[in-house]
Amino acid sequence: MEEKRIGVYVCWCGTNIAKMVDVERVAEEVGKLPNVVISKNYKYMCSDPGQELIVKDIKEHNLNRVVVSACSPRIHELTFRKALQNAGLNPYMFEMANIREQVSWVHEDREEATKKAKALVTGAIARVAYHEALDKRTVEINPASLVIGAGISGLTAALEIADAGKQVFLLEKEAQLGGHTANVELTFPYMIPARQILDPKIKRVENHPNVEVLKKAEIDEIFGYIGNFNADIKVNGDSRKLEFGNIIVATGLKPFDPSSVDLHGYGKLPNVVTSIEFEKMLQSGKIETKDGREPKNIAIIHCVGSRNNDYHEYCSRTCCMLGLKFANQTRTALPDSNIYEIYADMRSFGKGCEELYTETSKRDIMFLNFDQREGIPQITKAHPGDCCEMLIEMKERLSNTNIEVPADMVILLVGMEAREDAKEVAHHVGVSKCGNDFFIERHPKLDPVATTTDGVYIIGSCQGPKDITDSVAQSRAAAARILACITQGTVEVELTTAVVNEDLCCGCQTCVNVCPYTAISFDEEKSVSVVNEILCKGCGTCGSACPTGAIRSRHFTDQQILSQIKGIMSTEMTEV
Amino acid sequence: MSVRIDPDFSKKLAGYGKADWNECFHCGNCSAICPLTEDGFLFPRKGIRAMQMGLKEKLAGYVDPWLCYYCGECTDTCPRDANPAELMMTLRRWLTSVYDWTGLSGLLYRSFKAHMAVMILLFLSVIAAFVAFADFTIPVNSEGLVEINAFAPAELIASIDHIVLLTLGFFLLTNLINMFVKVIIQDKSVRVPLYLYFVKVWEAIFHFGTQAKFAKCEEKRMYWFLHWFLMSSYIMMFIFIIFFLEWFQTDIVHPWYHPQRLLGYYITAGIVISCVFFVWNRIKAKKTIFKFSHHSDYIFPILLFLIAITGILIHIFRLQGMPQATYVSYAIHLAVEVPMVVTFVAFSKWSHLAYRPMGLFFANLKKAALQKQYKTQLAPAT
Repeated sequence: MEEKRIGVYVCWCGTNIAKMVDVERVAEEVGKLPNVVISKNYKYMCSDPGQELIVKDIKEHNLNRVVVSACSPRIHELTFRKALQNAGLNPYMFEMANIREQVSWVHEDREEATKKAKALVTGAIARVAYHEALDKRTVEINPASLVIGAGISGLTAALEIADAGKQVFLLEKEAQLGGHTANVELTFPYMIPARQILDPKIKRVENHPNVEVLKKAEIDEIFGYIGNFNADIKVNGDSRKLEFGNIIVATGLKPFDPSSVDLHGYGKLPNVVTSIEFEKMLQSGKIETKDGREPKNIAIIHCVGSRNNDYHEYCSRTCCMLGLKFANQTRTALPDSNIYEIYADMRSFGKGCEELYTETSKRDIMFLNFDQREGIPQITKAHPGDCCEMLIEMKERLSNTNIEVPADMVILLVGMEAREDAKEVAHHVGVSKCGNDFFIERHPKLDPVATTTDGVYIIGSCQGPKDITDSVAQSRAAAARILACITQGTVEVELTTAVVNEDLCCGCQTCVNVCPYTAISFDEEKSVSVVNEILCKGCGTCGSACPTGAIRSRHFTDQQILSQIKGIMSTEMTEV
Repeated sequence: MSVRIDPDFSKKLAGYGKADWNECFHCGNCSAICPLTEDGFLFPRKGIRAMQMGLKEKLAGYVDPWLCYYCGECTDTCPRDANPAELMMTLRRWLTSVYDWTGLSGLLYRSFKAHMAVMILLFLSVIAAFVAFADFTIPVNSEGLVEINAFAPAELIASIDHIVLLTLGFFLLTNLINMFVKVIIQDKSVRVPLYLYFVKVWEAIFHFGTQAKFAKCEEKRMYWFLHWFLMSSYIMMFIFIIFFLEWFQTDIVHPWYHPQRLLGYYITAGIVISCVFFVWNRIKAKKTIFKFSHHSDYIFPILLFLIAITGILIHIFRLQGMPQATYVSYAIHLAVEVPMVVTFVAFSKWSHLAYRPMGLFFANLKKAALQKQYKTQLAPAT
């Protein structure tokens, strides 16, 4: 067996780590451990000079294993693996000790923190000694794609991929295409008719040779992995099978139901309507109350179901602009009406939006501000004989006054929610959901359309409340990602998977049952379990469940983990 | 208790002054920069909000506009060009009409035509009265002096003055009571103990005499001085006319150093210089405080100026022994004075002479009463 030559690098992360951990002492002390050839500390290991330091040392000192003690491996493990690769080492001969998130950021005693950092580095050194070189694996990509949902996002993505000459299956639950955009009259901020945006897309999708539109379709089950998915679906009740290489989830949103907000009286007061109902009124060309009168006082209430701990904490992002759009359209339709914009905070971000706000504020519209923490506006029926049908009572924030606003029609700007069937979709395609049931992207900043499941992308409001502009941008981004993947023809997959030692496997099938990725199947002939290395995510569940120790997770072997624990325990620790 | 908002209020207010107040996004820079605003009386932002929402009842009891002397600092620093200073001015005009129970004030403010019509009518009535009852042919006496008291006897003029004064005084006083009710009585948040009225009244009198708060406005000393010069001149003239007319309007020509003549010169100089300065600056409209003018801002100083000029003419013609010219000047002098006094004293710009010190008085009362209430609340239980 070759000699183990380990290089250890302790990062300061500027002052992030150095202020709480004596990095110089850690580097010095772990340098005395067996197998450690050199041990250094450096200001920013992730910087170019930091990486070059590793490459240079590997070549000069003939290192064959490296430990970097810095931030979370989620941030820079790939960076350093690449550095190893550049120096000619296998990238898996690397281990990272997280002394920032797990030490310097969470502790307050410098001495104790330094001890803990040393323990973690020692564990990493002990572990890396048992690392094995792993190879990369590639799979072929099926050039067809599945798009779930035919709203503005799904339509855009489908067209983008189809125009590049690749096959698309576009699935829609409803009988019509267009999703929620079809219910909109004009779009903010430029007042472009939604039909003008949507209709050409629908027409093109329906006539596109590369798009197969499947209306009234439902998914029974999706199997497979990136490049090689297949699905059982039902179209109009008939079963079908599809094969494709990538999936785009564009299932969209559900409008918030304001019936649960008692103070707004939706459902009890006839002229309290939702933004969707008002949009329909605009499409019909007539703004009128339930009994057919022209309303004199029109109030638009913002943040219904949004930014409120009783309903949803998040901002639905589109309602403020929708409210301003309504105010403009109402002012044009009813020049003599009184229009009240009752808002919590006006959020008019985005191109052309602040301008619309400014324009709207000049059209004789009264803006009234309320504070969610002090209660939401309460709508009651006005006394008979009063000038109006309803009264809105609220505490106006900018004047600190309790006021009542006369109203004949109240428009509730309802927020966006995740769909009720998000859970089933998430299960079918293997994506996770956040606390609000929206799907989670791989990285909130750097990878906003991909998911932690390779080959599955999320676009539009199923990922979080979004306007048409952002949804379209996301759709095209996801399409570009898929086209890049298809063009490459093959894709590299993770190798930290489970392997079965067939000699030890007793055929109990415990692993088959526990695998969350359906990656293990049972070979009836040999009576042993078989791991599909493409589907396996290396989570290790099977390994811990296996009664005979026949399954072993690559890069997470018992030996590696136990020696890491031993390493950590070998240092001097304070009893807590 | 909720206050009903009124979306039409801002439109109604337009008759009293105009600016882009809806531009205001309530950053509060105006209140921060104001040298006169203080805890409990934070203006002008609060007033802008109440105006935007049309909280009429709240605004009617609002004393803050009377604490503002229009230095223009807030308008200069406003990032939205919403012109808060002009709102305070507009609110002073509107409040004047709110205190006035006859409704005449609102009419004079809202309509330039109505104001002009009332003035012309009064002007012509006075001229007609002179033509009908006065003798323009009375010659100079044996000593060569113009016998003005033969043309218009001082006792008679003084009696008419007293009637006019009592009438206008009645309106002004009832308006002041109205103001007191709106500002102090209807404000349920504060109860003013009786003794405070006696303690605080001196401060109000002091500020009435000196306008010391105006001097607090930065770099506006010149305006403060001229405003004070005008006010002191005017008050003296007013006192002479009402109480000492027989001493003031004499047939005898005193030597130039006689106090009667010296005071007359002071009054004339004060009115002429200040009025020319203010009107000229309003025409130029360069400085913020002169940029925005309501018709009342012009009519008032122009009338005062005309009163002073006709006064000078009476003086010159009298010294020159020209009886007819003196009588005509005298008739015009009164024909200008009467419309000025009748339209302005109780119903328009002049009335701020009364409302401003009263506003300050009421504000001080509230402040002291609130401090007292606060201390009582904080006092440890015994």
